[in-house]
Amino acid sequence: MLASILASGLAMGAIYALIGITYNTMFATSRVMSFTAGQLGMLGGVLGSLFMLRWGLPPVLALPLTLAAAALFGVVTEFVAVRPVLKSLEQHLYVLSTLAVALLVQQVVAIEWSTEPQPFPRLLGIGSGVWDEKYWLPVAACAATVLGLEYLYRRTLVGRAFVAVAEDNYAARALGLPERNLRIASYALAGAVGALAGFAGGQLLLAFVANGPLLNFYGFIPVALGGLGNNRGAVIGGLALGLFQQAANFLAGGIFASVAVFSLFIVVLLAAPQGLFGAPAARRV
Amino acid sequence: MQITRRGLGLGVAGGAAALGLARPAIAQNEPIRFGWLASMTGPSSAPAIGFDRGVRFAAEAINAAGGVKGRRFEVITRDSQGEPTKAVNATQELISQSRVHAIWGPTNSGESLAVTAIMARAKMPNIHPCVVDSLIDPNRYPNAFRVAPSNGQWDDAVRRYATDVLKARKVAVFGDNTGYGVTAAKASSDAFKRENVEVVQLSNIDATQPDMTPDMLRARNAGAQAIVVWTVSTGMLARMLNTRAQMGWDVPFVGHPALSAGDIGGLLEKPENWRNVFCVGYRSCSYDSTGKLPARSQELVDRLQGKVNLNDSLLWWVACGVDAVNLVAKAVEATGSTASEAIIGHWNSLRKFPGYYGEYSFTPTQHNGYPGEDVVMSAANTGRNGAFALAPGYG
Repeated sequence: MLASILASGLAMGAIYALIGITYNTMFATSRVMSFTAGQLGMLGGVLGSLFMLRWGLPPVLALPLTLAAAALFGVVTEFVAVRPVLKSLEQHLYVLSTLAVALLVQQVVAIEWSTEPQPFPRLLGIGSGVWDEKYWLPVAACAATVLGLEYLYRRTLVGRAFVAVAEDNYAARALGLPERNLRIASYALAGAVGALAGFAGGQLLLAFVANGPLLNFYGFIPVALGGLGNNRGAVIGGLALGLFQQAANFLAGGIFASVAVFSLFIVVLLAAPQGLFGAPAARRV
Repeated sequence: MQITRRGLGLGVAGGAAALGLARPAIAQNEPIRFGWLASMTGPSSAPAIGFDRGVRFAAEAINAAGGVKGRRFEVITRDSQGEPTKAVNATQELISQSRVHAIWGPTNSGESLAVTAIMARAKMPNIHPCVVDSLIDPNRYPNAFRVAPSNGQWDDAVRRYATDVLKARKVAVFGDNTGYGVTAAKASSDAFKRENVEVVQLSNIDATQPDMTPDMLRARNAGAQAIVVWTVSTGMLARMLNTRAQMGWDVPFVGHPALSAGDIGGLLEKPENWRNVFCVGYRSCSYDSTGKLPARSQELVDRLQGKVNLNDSLLWWVACGVDAVNLVAKAVEATGSTASEAIIGHWNSLRKFPGYYGEYSFTPTQHNGYPGEDVVMSAANTGRNGAFALAPGYG
């Protein structure tokens, strides 16, 4: 039982963590919580299945195509749902605009793809039981993403520019950084990360339109637990959520597991409203 | 010209007489308007698409044979998209604008719960295939007739098979977390308990839950000898069957017709994961041990050959659609009237109406017309031309 909790819990936790990173990546350069994050995960599964099972492409081609398509969707989101509302962030209109885009995608996928879950193929054919690839692929994808982002943010000029915009976009603009282009690039990056979550977790989640709202919701919890904008917090929060959820499934079962998850979530937020790894927001007085 | 009181009186009397004579002539020639509330698009569209094939086939056959006493049979379809609010609007439009003579549908219980009272107020003759028991109540809804089994009849068939054929004395009952899943699983569990069968686990699972291992492990540890499932979620069912195989546990699955849905085949890790799975089926649409359908069903299949595709649908959906049209047509033919009282009165007198899907019987106090003994269990992995083989244990 313990092995099953660990395998499944870590796999789902890694998927939630990747969606949390997707939220954070979009938030960092725009200060917008884009509720398209879960839909990007759903698109990763659906496009992966489309390219591999219906078009017959090998995984090595299907993965970059999926990530590219999701990156493009990220850019479209920036143009359509984020840029028009940036001037009035305090009115939180982005909630409406990003939710509208998310619903639009959901409806299109439901009509053009299917409302029923569709199969997602085995990618490597490695492992069985608790070592099946469907369990460790999401964890590997999460680890690769975290390492890749660390490298990007610490070792590359573009990455440092991202960090500069995230910390103080006015100062970054004053220094001549192309803030708008960096924001577009961050939405493309977020699209690819979100789709990677759905692609790597496709064998667990299947290519299913209902995964969008599910990931939107459960992917937000690591962000809240780990602290907004904190990727390490999102990873730890995501893995903890996955493990706790799976343990609750074993101990309480069914819908009571969700009750246990949300009870813990509320308790954590009551104790640390800024998240377990976030700093309290400073306010100039 | 001067209008006198006598002239006016004679004119009115003459006009009334003329209209009175003309009205039956119009009524006898106007088409029979058959309202069809179909969820043709949206998440629960598969059954409606199957029913629709039967409806169109039967209506075309009637019209090709000269109609019903010379009256054309006109199908007026409204797509409710699986949404109760749209079903309400469509029902009101069919009643007040299209002025249909009878309504077939809706085809899912959520929509039917929303429109049944509206049809009752309008005294609209209504036949539907929805399973929720409360939809049929001759006192509250004297206009509503069911031509498919109720959920209780499904439940009886599943329970009989689990206890009498599989000899299970300990069962685990699962439903999804929708309203249907919760109520169906609870009703099923209660019925098992009433027959002194131990329900070792009763769980409602989120249909999108990716891993079913926890729930299946608990069922195995509790000693379940059969798994009873009530959900339409093919993803949930396929995951449960895959988990059963991974656990190396050959416990039989018994339950909802969705266990035989074609989508499940694509989601299974191996085709053999579908063995030892038995779902609700119908004797009229089942192959016997020699691989043959009942004669009347075979006659329908032969008639449908080349005209209606059965490969991506279920035979009972198509057959039930044919029966719905014939029930209305025969009522008009027998009574010579499209008045709602005439149609409802005729249906109330039906004894073993020979439909393709079943032999329907109604009385003024019993509007569940489908024979319970014809609800059987099918082997879920034996689908062929929309029909399934009878599960082991049926003669």
